[in-house]
Amino acid sequence: MSAADFNPNPIPEQGVYSSAVAPAKEPGPTSAGNKLKSNRIDGIIRPATFEEPGTDDEGPVENLPVDVKIGQPLKSRAQPGYYPGYNTLSQQKFWDEATRKVVLSRVNEVPPIRFFTPPEHKLMLAICARLLPQDDRDKEHKIPIVNYIDDRLYHDRIEGYRFEDMPPDREAHRLGLEAIEAIAHKMYGHSFVKLGPLEQEQVLQTIHDGNPPAGEEIWQRMSVVRYWTLLMQDAIEAYYAHPYAWDEIGFGGPAYPRGYLRQQNGMAEPWEKDEQPYPWNAPPGSPSAGYKPLGGASGKQTPVGQEGTH
Amino acid sequence: MKEPLLGSFKAKPEPGEHRLGPIQEIHVPMRKYSQDEEVDFCIVGVGSAGGVLLQRLARAGFRVVGLEAGPFWNTERDWVSDEAGSYKLYWNDLRITGGKNPLALGANNSGHGVGGGSVHWAGFTPRFHPSDFRVCSRDGVGVDWPISYWDLKPYYALLEKEMPVAGPAYYPWGDPHGYTYGPHPTAGVSNVLVNGCTRLGIGVSIGGPVAINSGSHADRPHCIYRGFCIQGCKVGAKQSTLVSHVPDAINYGAEIRDNCMVSRIEMGPQGRVTGVTYYDPDKKEARQKARVVIVCGYAIETPRLLLNSACPGWEQGLANSSGTVGKYLMAQAGNVVMGRFDELIRMYKGPPANSLTEEFYETDPKHDFARGFAVQTVGPLPIAFAKQMMVAKGAWGWGLRRVMMDYNHWAPLGVLGEILPWEDNTVTLAEEKDQFGLPVARVTFNLHDNDRKLINFATKKVEDILIAAGAREVVQEQRYAHLVGACRMGSDPKTSVVDGFGQSHDIPNLFVCDGSILPTQGSANPGLTIQALAARTADYLISERENILEGRPFSRISPPVRHDLSPEGTSGRGVPRLKGTALKVK
Ligand SMILES: Cc1cc2nc3c(=O)[nH]c(=O)nc-3n(C[C@H](O)[C@H](O)[C@H](O)COP(=O)(O)OP(=O)(O)OC[C@H]3O[C@@H](n4cnc5c(N)ncnc54)[C@H](O)[C@@H]3O)c2cc1C
Ligand code: SF4
Repeated sequence: MSAADFNPNPIPEQGVYSSAVAPAKEPGPTSAGNKLKSNRIDGIIRPATFEEPGTDDEGPVENLPVDVKIGQPLKSRAQPGYYPGYNTLSQQKFWDEATRKVVLSRVNEVPPIRFFTPPEHKLMLAICARLLPQDDRDKEHKIPIVNYIDDRLYHDRIEGYRFEDMPPDREAHRLGLEAIEAIAHKMYGHSFVKLGPLEQEQVLQTIHDGNPPAGEEIWQRMSVVRYWTLLMQDAIEAYYAHPYAWDEIGFGGPAYPRGYLRQQNGMAEPWEKDEQPYPWNAPPGSPSAGYKPLGGASGKQTPVGQEGTH
Repeated sequence: MKEPLLGSFKAKPEPGEHRLGPIQEIHVPMRKYSQDEEVDFCIVGVGSAGGVLLQRLARAGFRVVGLEAGPFWNTERDWVSDEAGSYKLYWNDLRITGGKNPLALGANNSGHGVGGGSVHWAGFTPRFHPSDFRVCSRDGVGVDWPISYWDLKPYYALLEKEMPVAGPAYYPWGDPHGYTYGPHPTAGVSNVLVNGCTRLGIGVSIGGPVAINSGSHADRPHCIYRGFCIQGCKVGAKQSTLVSHVPDAINYGAEIRDNCMVSRIEMGPQGRVTGVTYYDPDKKEARQKARVVIVCGYAIETPRLLLNSACPGWEQGLANSSGTVGKYLMAQAGNVVMGRFDELIRMYKGPPANSLTEEFYETDPKHDFARGFAVQTVGPLPIAFAKQMMVAKGAWGWGLRRVMMDYNHWAPLGVLGEILPWEDNTVTLAEEKDQFGLPVARVTFNLHDNDRKLINFATKKVEDILIAAGAREVVQEQRYAHLVGACRMGSDPKTSVVDGFGQSHDIPNLFVCDGSILPTQGSANPGLTIQALAARTADYLISERENILEGRPFSRISPPVRHDLSPEGTSGRGVPRLKGTALKVK
């Protein structure tokens, strides 16, 4: 048997979770179970129902993941994930001082936007809301991804290298925004921020697949796949550096000077929680739920791992 | 329990006291040499190799200055138990990377600050195999070393005690040997490797060899299994030369000038170097005169510095009459193969470096490639793992959120595959300049046929191991690790930069001592070998004391092994059968 035979949570081709979605109990404007909201009706684009993260309590219900058992959208919550009640920040007294300072300032002193212009900022918000969607997080617990990216670019903190087929990071980000706008216009005749989440995902998927239908001059100046990894890495570095994300995935967080004693069998330390998984699906039709190979199936542009491990 | 037993943890260093871990301290100020004074040795880069050299030369009574581009860490104050907050441990200045298979640099490769790469290494410390020193004669690939395994063996044994290395009492591969400090307990990921290998009948070394204390050792505590090794071990359990050798070096009168970036090595008359020029912490130019300069700047910065030091008579760069400075750069294949399990793994617990197999290390005539690979445990924290999923599964958006919610169900294993030395894998100078106006390094990397075949075979083998262990899904990310080479040692001055002691063929008082002198790399992590080579070079320099002081040619005779230069208490303590082998210095 080869690795390819394994498929723990079978995912239909296009990432449409239709089979898992039971009919809505009370059909109505707030029930999901139909389709991720598309603003495209009869070829006419309506004003976006998509809101910038943090501006709406719950976000449009169509953006919400779906509870597989009842076929209803999952309510936004303070803490998505399988470790309810787990709270790394509650352990801060057990952390060393330097670490406490760094993590608390990350949470409490969110850097202001200084690099992106207001329109760029708006566009980045919309993009990051799809790269790492947070519709299932309530307003108080959304992670301000764009602020951390802005801070890195404002201070021009680089990762120690640049691929020869890439411009410097700041320029790459600006060019990328331009390209994403161009693709949105080409595909849907509208600005990215005006599109519904489904279209937005489809725009981004073209870059992920290494096959953007517009912005050719820009892609002459930078590699599509490397731009994608740059953008994703920046979003990942912001999201998964945050204690809320640690709580979501059950990561232990800072662990000095206390350390761990229960190393075997996935056992939880006394302050950790056991896993309580619940079945959920991405909003129906979401392309990002489909795990397509980065750079497209041809594998022409294989990316390389960026992280040190061993 | 809501309150820590002894209250919240605070560790404010007293003024004038330099903390390395919770109980280790150095009392600064250290000895200071004036810049006009000619010291015996100037060491460029106090990293893995530089730290060991500095300590040994100081202990032997030489006047030694180490110039280090990064900071002299106060670990309680400067390091954090946090992934994103550990950004500053890496070499983050610009480098350009390209070629057909460009390497990721930065956090994936080199350190910055006293301790260098040993600050953020995972701490795997296998020895190279005897075959590694003879790959050309044995397998018809690569090149032979000018020294043999047996030349290096005593230094492996010494460094394993000084670090110290924990591991099994019997280690079966290469030249079989044992470790004096016991192996570590296993955690989730190592259990997966052990289960998978055992089911397939593959031998596996459990709980080491790793340079991580399995018991308290002098003023360094044992491991607390918190899994932040790559972010710098705040505990001081994992070895870095910062905690194992630098304190002893300072005790014996070495000076370390941190935040000092060496910009060029100065050539004098008579074809000898006279010292170095560097930018001090205020970014002002300064000079240090020295009888001998030893470059220990890592496989990228070392060739860059030699090339940047070009001057009349040395237009191609220093020590580069062969044209090999910057050539034959190597990286190991470091693919990470990840398996998803029904049961919880919690990969963040325990040191990422724990268990490994070298069953596939040697050339196997049944394979369609020469040389081999190792399989090792790894333990990426959430940011690193999310980036791996982005590559391995093409994950983003909801797909990424979903797979990350299963973070605790994944077990990643690392391939460590030997990539051969190729002339077209290089470090050259780019047009871009750094903050000092110095051309930055351009790294060019291409895989060749043998490398690709080896990588394909190795990743399949690791998939088999994961599946045998019960993985329900297996994915992999292509990756490279451990840059070495680019100033290789050899017997022939026409095809190598330095000899078997690290002395440059062209300039007698210019040495290179770091990973860049490796002619081939095996599939063992290079750190132990780099530090062992540094100890050997130190013994050579010590045995040449008269020649150095008189400015006479060196003998090029193998030195006797000095067993009396280990840092205080590192050879013998707690190890009955070694007691008494460490003689006190006079
Ligand atoms: C994430 C990660 C995990 C790793 N895990 C392992 C492992 O488990 N086992 C293993 O054996 N290896 C491991 N390695 C590799 C190991 O860290 C390196 O091979 C080793 O540290 C290289 O030693 P070096 O002496 O050549 O250079 P370094 O240790 O990098 O030292 C070079 C020093 O020189 C300084 N320097 C450079 N240029 C200048 C200049 N011009 N002026 C002044 N100072 C300068 C640098 O700041 C640096 O401190 C790992 C590496 C990484 C990135
Ligand atoms: S796991 Fe052990 S060696 Fe690694 S950082 Fe923690 S205490 Fe140090």
